[in-house]
Amino acid sequence: MTCSFRKTLLAASVSLSALFAANATLAQEAVFVTSSNEVGVPTLDPIRANNLGRATTLLFDRMVSQAADLSYHPWLAESWEEAPDGMSWTFKLKPGVKFHNGEPFNAETIKAWLELFKASENAYMSEAIAEVQVVDENTVKFVMSRPEPNMLYNLSSTYMSVVEPKAWTALGENFGVTEAYGTGPFKLESFTIGQETVLVRNDDYTWGPALAENHGPAKIARITLREIAEDSTALLELKTGGVDLLLSVPADLIPEVQKEANLAVMMLPGQDVWYMPINVTKAPFDDIRLREAAAKAINQEEILASVFGGVGTVADTFLISALPESHVADSAKIHYDPARSNALLDEAGWKMGANGVREKDGKPLKVSLWVQSDTAFRRVAEVVQAELKAVGIEAEITTFDSSMIRDQYKTGEQQLAVRSYNWDNADIVDWFFGGDRLGYPNVSMFNDPKAEELRKAAMTGAKNMEERVKNFTAYHEYVLSQFPMAPIYQPVDAIAYNKDRLTLPEKIDAPGIGTVAVLGMEVKE
Amino acid sequence: MTARALPAPVRALRRPMGALAGGWLLLVILMAVLAPLITPYAYDIQSLKEAYQPASSAHWLGTDEFGRDLLTRLIHGARTSLSVSGIAIFLSVLCGMVLGAAAAWFGGWFDRAVTVVVDLTWSFPEILIALILVAIIGPGTTGTMVAISVAYLAQFTRLTRAQILTLRGETFIEAARSLGASNSHILRRHLLPNALAPVLVSAMLATGDAIILEATLGFFGLGAQPPVPSWGGMMSAGSALIFKAPWIIVFPGLTVAVTVVAINLFGDALIAELDIRNRMGGRA
Repeated sequence: MTCSFRKTLLAASVSLSALFAANATLAQEAVFVTSSNEVGVPTLDPIRANNLGRATTLLFDRMVSQAADLSYHPWLAESWEEAPDGMSWTFKLKPGVKFHNGEPFNAETIKAWLELFKASENAYMSEAIAEVQVVDENTVKFVMSRPEPNMLYNLSSTYMSVVEPKAWTALGENFGVTEAYGTGPFKLESFTIGQETVLVRNDDYTWGPALAENHGPAKIARITLREIAEDSTALLELKTGGVDLLLSVPADLIPEVQKEANLAVMMLPGQDVWYMPINVTKAPFDDIRLREAAAKAINQEEILASVFGGVGTVADTFLISALPESHVADSAKIHYDPARSNALLDEAGWKMGANGVREKDGKPLKVSLWVQSDTAFRRVAEVVQAELKAVGIEAEITTFDSSMIRDQYKTGEQQLAVRSYNWDNADIVDWFFGGDRLGYPNVSMFNDPKAEELRKAAMTGAKNMEERVKNFTAYHEYVLSQFPMAPIYQPVDAIAYNKDRLTLPEKIDAPGIGTVAVLGMEVKE
Repeated sequence: MTARALPAPVRALRRPMGALAGGWLLLVILMAVLAPLITPYAYDIQSLKEAYQPASSAHWLGTDEFGRDLLTRLIHGARTSLSVSGIAIFLSVLCGMVLGAAAAWFGGWFDRAVTVVVDLTWSFPEILIALILVAIIGPGTTGTMVAISVAYLAQFTRLTRAQILTLRGETFIEAARSLGASNSHILRRHLLPNALAPVLVSAMLATGDAIILEATLGFFGLGAQPPVPSWGGMMSAGSALIFKAPWIIVFPGLTVAVTVVAINLFGDALIAELDIRNRMGGRA
């Protein structure tokens, strides 16, 4: 009895002193919640990952930064020049930049880093670079094997974050898990997969992106990025003061945030597209008529209004509407058209049965619909299920854990699914529909000779930006005409934060919340 | 004396707590059985314009996020929850009794092997075993059923084995054996009937836990797949809407809570009526 009382007393005093300690440093610390589709990312290493969390963007810098209007601006590269024929690029690097482990950043680093990048999943981003020449300490020249109009975009992508090559080689698979060294405004303190990443300020940082008002160091000394799978749980944490900022708030929760006096919402143009991949290799969807019927059974307006509270816009192509390549011919856009769906299903021999499910040769039109376990996806899947049922297709929903569903796709057993991606370049069409990535990312198992031809022209055949847009539009349009997916919805990017705790910069000139935004954030004393 | 002649569950109903709990259980079971006849709406037809309506005369418990009647879904959910947990526990009791009785009766290496495996599963929480199994079998009602029955198998195997071990030394067993009764005769006619009562009570209480386990799996999205309603699945959908439409999570939550408490209370009344300890050596 006495013993346990003493223990309680001890525990109480320990937790009390911990509380005081926490309070003392509270002023410079902030807790963010990552977006729910980043939960469970297994590594922060931009070279090895095919899904990256927000921590990576704060640990590593990139050569080029992008503005809100998607134009390109200096970051680690001060200036650049492309040869008129597109066959070489020369970059002037910022002097005086240092990695977290003290290694200098210079032309040699770029050469060594691009060598590592060649073996990665994302190697296509640098494959047009035939040779990297070190001109002087701070000048590097890329000799190209073909013109690459997308060079600046690639260099501004998180996946082309510059890592410290020596540490990357020495640490192997542990780079980005136990340790990570970049030149970014924050250093890695700890990373617990599926739980949280703790970042501490890089006090030497003075080389922030050109568009940031504060070039460094950051004002916040320590950021904890927590991973919370359920959006409403995250919102509850924000309401009760457990966290200071949510990096992604789903549309239907925005009104809940706006109700609270001490919380604020900031909206940025979104880069997500929700869609329904259709596996073109699995019967009955090996018949293009059934694919079109399923795609046109999806009522995008209804989903936007009922599931997303009208926040965002409908999607009618595979790309976000900010991209010029999304401007395909009107006939190629995919819209809700139940009359056409019914006509196509009739034509394909699927006759309406007594219970509202179509039949052919005595077999019902029953398909599977895969979805990850996050609430919003499940809700969209249920509406999609009802909409398919309305034209006589019975879809059976199977829910998978969000971190496991990618591996499930690799089996190729899926028929329909509801998923989303986040990207702001037309090359995402290549990523999700390229014939060499069947299963995942190519969930639709789409491998079409004509598409592959157009894909090649789009990815590698253009000499300049204008030509690239034209080629990608043609590729995108052809893919749409084959119905390997149905577009559903384009959200806005909404973040929510506690106004009593954080000050955000008035204007964030970046396509999303990353280095530029975080450099401008301040914790209120 | 006349009271003694009635079956134990009926006698349990005569106790005030037993009556209350038993009444609720009967109501839930009745509604589950008659679901399609008594519900005014279809559980799967969406009407998105009527989503998020609070309780009204048209929808007694309101509507969910797809405009479906919550009461209808709750009643159909009772079907899923009760049938899945009931069948799972039935399977579990069946397999557990056979295994436990065989282990106790035959002894030797077979007993040791069964005991080791049972103790091994016993050392894991049921939810963990269930989650692993559902991950292997795949989500859905069948997966959940198998997962729950395996999760509770250890409990019934152990209980039956212990019962038989105490009973096999009793004089009436010796008497039966000396009269030339075979192994299977003694097991079927003397041992299992005597071991049955405690196992059944324990099964009744386990059904309450199984409902919670089923709801948990449903909450994780691993139980019955939409649009089929289950209490856990409904709570999971409601958890994201707790600020916007709290009734979507509150009513299924309350139903699970009340049902599980009712099962426990009724189980208590049953134990008291059965007077399990006194009957141990009684009728043979």
